[in-house]
Amino acid sequence: MIADILNVAWKELREILTFGDTRGRSKFSLVILILIFGIIFPLQNGRDWVDSPISIMIWGWMPFIWVSGVVADLFAGERERHTLEALLATRLSDQAILFGKLLAALIYGFLLTWVILFVSLITVNIVYGRGGLLFYPSEMTVAAFVFSILVSGLSASIGVLVSLRAGSVRQAQQMMSVGMLVLFLPFMLIQFIPEKWLISIGNIVANMKPLQVAIGIAITLLIVETILIVIARRLFQRSKLILD
Amino acid sequence: MNAIQTNHLTRSFGDLKAVDRLTLEVPRGTVFGFLGPNGSGKTTTIRLLLGLLDADQGTAEVLGFNTKTQADEIRTRCGALLEHHGLYERLSAAGNLDYYGRIWHMPKTDREKRIRELLEPLSLYERRDEPIGRWSRGMKQKLAVVRTLMHRPELIFLDEPTAGLDPVASAALREDLTRLAVQEGVTIFLTTHNLSEAERLCNQVAVINRGQLLAHGSPAELRAQTSTPRMYITGQGITQQVIEDIQKNTLVKKIQQQNGKLVVDLNDLSRSHELIKQLVHANVSIDEVYKEKVDLEDVFLHLVDEEGRGEG
Repeated sequence: MIADILNVAWKELREILTFGDTRGRSKFSLVILILIFGIIFPLQNGRDWVDSPISIMIWGWMPFIWVSGVVADLFAGERERHTLEALLATRLSDQAILFGKLLAALIYGFLLTWVILFVSLITVNIVYGRGGLLFYPSEMTVAAFVFSILVSGLSASIGVLVSLRAGSVRQAQQMMSVGMLVLFLPFMLIQFIPEKWLISIGNIVANMKPLQVAIGIAITLLIVETILIVIARRLFQRSKLILD
Repeated sequence: MNAIQTNHLTRSFGDLKAVDRLTLEVPRGTVFGFLGPNGSGKTTTIRLLLGLLDADQGTAEVLGFNTKTQADEIRTRCGALLEHHGLYERLSAAGNLDYYGRIWHMPKTDREKRIRELLEPLSLYERRDEPIGRWSRGMKQKLAVVRTLMHRPELIFLDEPTAGLDPVASAALREDLTRLAVQEGVTIFLTTHNLSEAERLCNQVAVINRGQLLAHGSPAELRAQTSTPRMYITGQGITQQVIEDIQKNTLVKKIQQQNGKLVVDLNDLSRSHELIKQLVHANVSIDEVYKEKVDLEDVFLHLVDEEGRGEG
């Protein structure tokens, strides 16, 4: 079972990175991402890019966007390109196919986060290092590690669920965009919250320990992901997918 | 033991019976042609046999495994090329085959050896590292057939393997299929609506229409079951008396004259020489004799037409 999951994930990653894509579009977009987040933003932000707690917010949520860009293709794309039925006719179990695809999306988000973290660290050190070696604070490194996995996992599980039900890649991408809007809605609504309430919320947050907040968010993400995966597992039925 | 055995297999989609009480036996080692017009239930039958769909009624066994309870065992031992080739166009030919080899847990050296073994005879080995998105449809279809054989299955299902190919590509694929069937010694369950294809490839055929089995046997048996052996004779001295004398021969079912030709329906085509002898004795000077060759297409049209009239 583990070998099957890894096989599916390996193939998906090869397709995501499109080693065989003659047009090289996927590689080009990867380079753009690394250029923006690994070089341009660190250059603009200077040493703060490494030290500031704001960076944790960025590193925490960025994998969500990156993964959502590829996850819509996982099932909807296979269906659209008529490769899904051939895959379903193999000896692979339902779980192996589903978890293999989930794992591929998660690995993609995780690796991309760490490649960009590494490149941006080099950028900051070269330009703002002044002879010394700058490094991310240990808490931030741990947080980036945990949240890059959890947030990639959240995006992957939402994406798989959407991709399973969508008729086409475009439809899956549209549904993912709407999902992202819903997710970011609370941040957009902050401006409409009365100032008094904001101060109260600020006081509550200020009194909380950052570690507690991080653990609370991590547990919430884990629960949400588990629920989404259970739903996806229920929806993943060969006979239904064949007839879709 | 049969490779496939179904017993009153039935599957409906709403009011439509896609497969209707299908009882079928496919012996091991045969190239079995499953013939039928579009929408006759061929693809649904393959999906049922692979355990991708559940039957509403009836049972089926593939390689001795029940399609409902042991579908995983069946899919482990079979290969399938379904409606679409299902290849990953962004991957190379070798990449596609390698992935399927990995799915069946083939070791790396075995995968490499097998890829060479399968692609070389088709002249595709040199192009194994090209992304197949650039390949022609015929080449992709060949690769898809080869993919079904990658893990050395006992049985392969090919759903309309030559559909959409031009005549040259179809002929090439047919040739490769025949060679692969012999080389691999695999049972092939092939659906098609191309009857000349079935005639050339298959040693057993079944005809299905509207989900129901109309006939089953070797192409020769089907021809014998559904058609009357017929001879056409042209010559000098075919008088009314000669025709009346021939009519009395028990070998002759029916005789008529059409455009100067004598059209004779026989009970047994293998004894046609007796009729020729009789004509020679009656001083008929024979110019030309030919036996009507009934092909599978005639059989198929006859069966479908008969079923249609039965419905009416």
